[in-house]
Amino acid sequence: MEEIGKNESIRVWIDADGAVVAVGDIDLAGGPLLDTAILRLEGSTPVVIDLEAVEFIDSSGLRSLLAASRRADARGTTVVLRKPSAGVLRLLSITGTTEQFQFEGVAP
Amino acid sequence: MSVSADPSASTSSLISGPVTLVVPAVAAMVRVGRLTASSVASIADLSIDDIDDIKIAVSEMITLLIQSDNRSSITLRFEVDAQSFTVEASTPSSALDLGRNDVALATAVLDAVSDRHEVAHVDDRILMKMVKTISPRPES
Repeated sequence: MEEIGKNESIRVWIDADGAVVAVGDIDLAGGPLLDTAILRLEGSTPVVIDLEAVEFIDSSGLRSLLAASRRADARGTTVVLRKPSAGVLRLLSITGTTEQFQFEGVAP
Repeated sequence: MSVSADPSASTSSLISGPVTLVVPAVAAMVRVGRLTASSVASIADLSIDDIDDIKIAVSEMITLLIQSDNRSSITLRFEVDAQSFTVEASTPSSALDLGRNDVALATAVLDAVSDRHEVAHVDDRILMKMVKTISPRPES
């Protein structure tokens, strides 16, 4: 595991499988740490982001995910959201951005 | 940071007067504003879904003001009555300029989680306001 960092909003690390794991709130304070972790992993393979323990996300956090998706698209790969919490799924739905991502661990 | 409640203002059955919170315009305070909104809404007995919507709206409003390039302080005012929960967020500014924000995405989110929202320039402040109609609670 590689600890990326933590602050008052969020804790972010890269797990043994090479997935970014975020725990807490992805907002104006939490988004930059998530950006750091995602940029650390970006290559030719899909970036997997575990969002099961994300308690809150707003458009600041969504911007981090969308930017990662755009960069992945430019590289011909994708961003995979693993077990996104209900809050994450709702924000994706109301902003019409669900299609920008692939998903793991989401009930059909 | 300061917090106050005005007992002489309008009332609901559970909260007497608006709750006002003044915070520095820094990223860490987004969470403080959100959790305060959640606490006030919880005391007012709003539903979990309504509280979740209010938390998102407050987060969007504070973020827009922090990134408006007018960084000093942000004043939040929460008021609840029998029908609605109102949040006002403002910061000193000489003009209505939301700076380097992605306003479209934040506006789309505010549209979805509030019944009404607006932004104006009043008395040398950027003033954002959102109103959330309180969902009826099932009778016990």
